[in-house]
Amino acid sequence: MSQERPRAGIDLARSRARSEDEDRGEGGVVTTDTVIDVEHLDVFYADFKAVGGVTLGFPTNEITALIGPSGCGKSTVLRSLNRMNDLIPTARVEGTVAYHGRDIYADGIDPVEIRRRIGMVFQKPNPFPKSIHDNIAWGAKINGFRGTKVEMADLVEQALRSAALWDEVKDKLSESGLSLSGGQQQRLCIARAIATQPDVVLMDEPCSALDPIATLRIEELMLELKRDYSIIIVTHNMQQAARVSDNTAFLNVSMGETGQRTGRLVEFSPTDQLFTRPREQATEDYITGRFG
Amino acid sequence: MSEHDTRQSFDEQLADTKKGALALGGLVLENTRRATEAMLENDLDLAQEVIAADDEIDDRYAALEHAVFSTLARQQPVARDLRFLVALTRVLYDIERSGDLAVNVAKGLVRRDGYTMSPDIHGLLARMSRGAADLFAQGLDALDSLDAAAGRRLDDADDEVDDLVGELYSAIAAESGGMGFDLAVELSRVGRYMERIADHAVNIAEHVTFMVTGSFPDDLPPGVRDEA
Repeated sequence: MSQERPRAGIDLARSRARSEDEDRGEGGVVTTDTVIDVEHLDVFYADFKAVGGVTLGFPTNEITALIGPSGCGKSTVLRSLNRMNDLIPTARVEGTVAYHGRDIYADGIDPVEIRRRIGMVFQKPNPFPKSIHDNIAWGAKINGFRGTKVEMADLVEQALRSAALWDEVKDKLSESGLSLSGGQQQRLCIARAIATQPDVVLMDEPCSALDPIATLRIEELMLELKRDYSIIIVTHNMQQAARVSDNTAFLNVSMGETGQRTGRLVEFSPTDQLFTRPREQATEDYITGRFG
Repeated sequence: MSEHDTRQSFDEQLADTKKGALALGGLVLENTRRATEAMLENDLDLAQEVIAADDEIDDRYAALEHAVFSTLARQQPVARDLRFLVALTRVLYDIERSGDLAVNVAKGLVRRDGYTMSPDIHGLLARMSRGAADLFAQGLDALDSLDAAAGRRLDDADDEVDDLVGELYSAIAAESGGMGFDLAVELSRVGRYMERIADHAVNIAEHVTFMVTGSFPDDLPPGVRDEA
């Protein structure tokens, strides 16, 4: 059981054989094709085990969707990928989360640096109450950007262009970020996240507060961004997972003997397969809407 | 369709569509059998009934197609529901085409004002037409019970109909001097129509295999294999 790391499209046996081979060479954790590898992840809030035994690898430069019913632990898993759970005093993580092969929970790892490299976009757009320009510049400065004014202007433009927002805001960079529409605010938050030059962007229900058109714009943006970033998205919207993701992980709630509810990974498959030919009955029941 | 009731109305739509497809298949099966009887008995009145019955088949086919498209658009099905509905559109097509082939048999009979044939050819046509209708009935049974194994089974059983067509063509060739060119062509066509009905029956069963398992018995959709 020590080396199971299911990857989408690779069955467990093959995955295990491969990782054992490579482990011998590296003496560490496999990172081929994956940017984050989670192994036997348990997340506790005080004594409550919210997530148990999650093992999977997130492929590089692909979009991976986490889906599942409320309480299945998908947001908990997402937040454990950049140590966002550290901010909750009772939260505790067991198992490993390896980013480029290094356990982000190991001693001596700086969580701020982890969050710079693994950015996050939240459900509700949350720009700072500052100008559009400063929303980008602030984050970059806090994260150690020491360039000139011109270099900063460049960074702001690049981030806004990457987030497909530049054309809409280039003439009003000094206006408040809060003056933008919901969809624009969310793209501003994406720009802010990528201004610190991460290589992974986590998105927690990034479109649930947006109308369908704004949602489609974010989805298009995600497809653009995956050229440069690995994207992991939690979504309640199964059609969204089906539209944008390359791989989908389905998590479900399992009941323990004493009635405690723990989130577990049920299936991790290429999205195309999961929505046409899921391997697990529980996945089939969930995605076809037959949850009892 | 499920012990859960979170999508009861959707399940009812799926069940209704399937019932509709089976009912349509029943009409086509009946018309195939009547076309066979008309052809073997030289019953021109019965042939006219076969031709007239096709309007209802076409109308029901159009309505079912519409129902499937509407369900696809409105329910956005995935997994087994998606496989069922997409494969069902193909099944409906196979059923409707079979209906047209039965009508072709009847029209040929009317056009010639009845057939004259030797007992040998009569016997071969009877056996292969009944074989085709029997396969078609089995295809509908496969849909009814969602029998994943039926695809391969019917494909094997179809060999018998194919062999009979070969025998029929040989017999027609041997007698063609006596019966004349036009009749030889007409009777060959009847054989071909019945052979195609049997092929559509196999297609139906293979689409059922896809509905249940997500893949075809030979990994290729029927149309691709037929044309290969």
